[in-house]
Amino acid sequence: MGALSVVKAGSARPSSPPESPKPSRSKAVRGGAGPGARRRRAGLLMVAPALLHAALWIGLPVVAAVLLAFTSYDVLSAPKFVGLDNFRDMLGDAVFRKSVLNTVVYTFFTVPFGMALGLLLALGLNAGLRARGVFRTAIFLPQVTATVAIALVWLWIYNPRNGLFTTLLSIFGVESPAWLASTTWAMPSVILVGIWQGIGMKMLIYLAALQNLPKELYEAASVDGASKVRQFFSLTLPLLKPATFFVLITSMISAFQSFDQIYILTDGGPANSTTMMTYEIYKSAFREFRVGYACAQSLVLFVLLMAFTLVNRRMMGGTRGHG
Amino acid sequence: MAESRPRVSPGRVALYVTLALTSLLMVVPFAWMVLTSLKTPAEIASEHAGLLPSHWEFGNYVDAFKAAPFATYARNSFVIAISHTVINVLVASMAGYALARIRFRGSDLIFYCFIAALMIPTYTKVLPEFLIVRFMPLAGGNDLFGQGGSGWLDSWWALIVPGAVTPFAVFLFRQFYLDLPVELEEAARLDGLGEFRIYARIMTPQVKPALTTVALLTFESSWNNFLWPLLVTRTDSLRVIQVGLSVFKTENGTQWHFLMAGTTLATLPMVILFLIGQRYFVQGFATAGLK
Repeated sequence: MGALSVVKAGSARPSSPPESPKPSRSKAVRGGAGPGARRRRAGLLMVAPALLHAALWIGLPVVAAVLLAFTSYDVLSAPKFVGLDNFRDMLGDAVFRKSVLNTVVYTFFTVPFGMALGLLLALGLNAGLRARGVFRTAIFLPQVTATVAIALVWLWIYNPRNGLFTTLLSIFGVESPAWLASTTWAMPSVILVGIWQGIGMKMLIYLAALQNLPKELYEAASVDGASKVRQFFSLTLPLLKPATFFVLITSMISAFQSFDQIYILTDGGPANSTTMMTYEIYKSAFREFRVGYACAQSLVLFVLLMAFTLVNRRMMGGTRGHG
Repeated sequence: MAESRPRVSPGRVALYVTLALTSLLMVVPFAWMVLTSLKTPAEIASEHAGLLPSHWEFGNYVDAFKAAPFATYARNSFVIAISHTVINVLVASMAGYALARIRFRGSDLIFYCFIAALMIPTYTKVLPEFLIVRFMPLAGGNDLFGQGGSGWLDSWWALIVPGAVTPFAVFLFRQFYLDLPVELEEAARLDGLGEFRIYARIMTPQVKPALTTVALLTFESSWNNFLWPLLVTRTDSLRVIQVGLSVFKTENGTQWHFLMAGTTLATLPMVILFLIGQRYFVQGFATAGLK
């Protein structure tokens, strides 16, 4: 929920958590005190299509995923209740353990590194440059492009015979490895693509947050003789805490769910060195037809995400840092 | 746009150079994609090819269209992305309006359900969603209990319906409608307008930025979606462009000139849309970030 509290970062209004109703709402409610019954019915009618859609395509699937996680199910015959067998199997599944580790490694490198780079770029773009829009557009471009398309381009860049990397390195007389076919280099190569694609979003959210920072504080700090570096660490970083939390959580959620790039770039290989939890879920369900097992794996993914979110929230000390 | 007068100082120059280099790094893969799409296969295969094509082979695009039904893939992607955009804008704006401006029994609970739905990872729901599609009663030869046929698999229904409405859009619309003044609504009510008319004629025209933002973000995620169309389609005639590209890769793995031509075509609509609607994209992503 904290992730949502930077809503409308572009407007002057400071972040407001969704759970606290704003004054306009209560006024709006009082405004309709007249022939209320018809109004209430209209309200329910208007929400109904979205609600039914969510019930069928989000609510029901989540319930089904939880139930199926305790079954053995191959789609062809009826699901069979197996208790905790799926979870026990997972503990003994070396490939799944590897995929959890890979997911964590991938997230660890793409998210904090991407955030640091994103923040640096945002600071640079916030310095009142000409052509700021051009830089921002270029940096953000990969974010709107399909991951499949991007992964295909990088597949070609990493091509060991005459891809861009190989060509460029050969100019310097360096012989490049078969990036994606090497157990050493495949993961770093995938991570590089992840950082490259995700950096625009992180930069953008930081930029929006930076533009909302109170200028008076900086003027006061300058008067007090605080250096730029000091201002950054004592003012900017603490003030950016809500944005940092937002970027961290949203990037982590998407990093944990990376699939397209793995599917295109490596198929989880070589020797499972780049397989991720999502890829294992996909494999269990659609290649091995172990739907129950796949659902159990997806629950583990969900629980891990939740746990990470809560731990981060605790570590960041909540998100209502400035107001 | 500039907040302070740009002065020439070593720091500023360094900043410009850094940003320019970074921007270059972000754009180079796209340039490499386009350049490759214009090279001959022979040049791509040669060990000592330069960065620029020695002969600009624009015919690759024509040939790529012949090698794979990219026109069909692109049309399918357009149909799905447009449908999602229209449905999401309509349904989510109505829901967002009701949740923001009308208090009715259960409205708070419904709102919290949408918030909770935002938190569910795609992978937790994707398998059961697939099963629902597969066992959709009375569709694709299925009986009332969803047995016997293939349900919605390999149909437009599967491609369009499950992803049509997003809780995020509902949430975003609600935030925008919340900010509108009550007076507007009250005046309309005094004029005797019904609730649907107040929504459609009075309030919704006031939230055009929200409409644009949701429309662009919905189109973007629909156009770029890969896993879902991969799961629910088998036939070439229903494949979307992202899936078509991925299949093209495995089937004709070495034909980089075609593959990059196809990738360029798949990338182009989003790049154009992004450049046109940048303001709303930026606002939407800064607001959202939830993908």
